[in-house]
Amino acid sequence: MSMINVKVVAIEQVTPLVKHFTFVKEDGSSLPAFSGGSHVVVSLDIGGRIHRNPYSLMGSPMENEAYHISVRKQENSRGGSVFMHENVTVGMPLKITYPVNLFSLAKKGRKHILIAGGIGITPFMSQIADLNRMNANYELHYAYRSPEHGAFAAQLKEKCGDHLHCYIDSQGQRLDLQALLNDQPLGTHVYVCGPNAMVLATLDTARNLGWPENHIHSEQFLSPPTGEPFKIQLARSNIEIQVSAEMSMLEAIEAAGVEADYLCRGGVCGRCELDVLETDGALEHNDHFLTDTEKASCKKIMPCVSRAKGERLVLDL
Amino acid sequence: MEHGYTIKSKPIYGALAWHDKATVHLVIAQSQGGLAVLKLFEQMQPKQPVRVLYAQQDTDYAKTLKKVVPEGLDVLNSEQELLDVLKSIMPTMRMGLRIYIAGSEGFIWSVAEAVKAFGVENADLMKEQTDTLARTIYCVHCKAITHNITTNIGKCSGCGRMLFVRDHFSRQMGAYMGLMIDAESPGELPAIEEIYP
Ligand code: FES
Repeated sequence: MSMINVKVVAIEQVTPLVKHFTFVKEDGSSLPAFSGGSHVVVSLDIGGRIHRNPYSLMGSPMENEAYHISVRKQENSRGGSVFMHENVTVGMPLKITYPVNLFSLAKKGRKHILIAGGIGITPFMSQIADLNRMNANYELHYAYRSPEHGAFAAQLKEKCGDHLHCYIDSQGQRLDLQALLNDQPLGTHVYVCGPNAMVLATLDTARNLGWPENHIHSEQFLSPPTGEPFKIQLARSNIEIQVSAEMSMLEAIEAAGVEADYLCRGGVCGRCELDVLETDGALEHNDHFLTDTEKASCKKIMPCVSRAKGERLVLDL
Repeated sequence: MEHGYTIKSKPIYGALAWHDKATVHLVIAQSQGGLAVLKLFEQMQPKQPVRVLYAQQDTDYAKTLKKVVPEGLDVLNSEQELLDVLKSIMPTMRMGLRIYIAGSEGFIWSVAEAVKAFGVENADLMKEQTDTLARTIYCVHCKAITHNITTNIGKCSGCGRMLFVRDHFSRQMGAYMGLMIDAESPGELPAIEEIYP
């Protein structure tokens, strides 16, 4: 996958847990254009091991001098976000992928309801720029733990004015999804990004109210879970690889020097799908992409988040 | 007809079935589409309110529908009358509305076009093709629309060219593409056969 060389030009602590990073191209030229909702994958060399984490681009899609991302420090993660917080400094060169959009606004939408929980606000920042420019009918519902965790609340107020509705948990303010989605005009689309429970509750509420599937959008990148180490065989490359407890299968494949496709690295886009040629044990499907039937068939696996148990797993790669 | 592969733009129609989640169901049918509505009501009676708009033609299911549909049935005398009623009730509808359409392809797409103006997208609609397989075609040369073409080659109502009916379907126009067949050697036509009865 071709990468863009960037360097960090600014780092700002926005909340106790969130840092905001600004990148420009290393050679000073413009960055590729993108659309609201896009993300890039940042590649980090942590002690010789390459970590690749997806982050939403937060700036206005109209601006191509710099890219902006925000990173929440995930204490019990496998280190990518902690490294971003503690080791990445201004002036440091980094590699990122070209922007990819897996969470774009519905072009035909008459009204857009954006629902963000905590750091889930990030993909909406660029969408808001698009919505404001199009003069679109939208509402942004932003829920967060306590006032100091409302990253960007002030900035959003300025940009969105009356479109913004905040819900501060510590002050007992709750977003009532049923009331929100119950009486919306035809042609409304809902978008949600945030903690798992919030995403599921939104999807459930909209579906139960009879909203058609193509009006319901969510973005939730999973981070690859850790687990027991296991071995895989790549049939076409004819090699055997050990996947350590800490690594994802995709990372192990990449570390072995084999090219593998990916877009989201979070089990949602489907790009990394591999055919399973042989397996003697259980596959641990952690993705949100394969259907239950596909998962049960043991014929396909998403190596960015899924793992395996057993002695033998042969992949068509 | 083109063999051996499917052209994505040729719409695929299914059979009507209730969505179990909805706030209101709106069933819209014409002529033999009435039978599809009767089958729908054989499945079950949804808990949510149901509205049925039916345009009767020669084949008439109006009588049976009146017996089977407990309330909310409107029997209209033409497609135009039906579209007028539809346009008058759409402004009261909100998200959670589910729409079901049964009728000829031409009817399905006139309804789709009418509700599109109210923010309902094509993918939101459940459709069942009944009645005729006759195609509406649009002439790529003069842009005229010609209805009820039942043969592989039809005459354009606008420019009079003989058009070959392709499987290429435009959802916007609700019509198939028609291409002049004898452009190379005028007057030389292959056999004209009825293939969309
Ligand atoms: S890279 Fe998107 S599902 Fe694996």
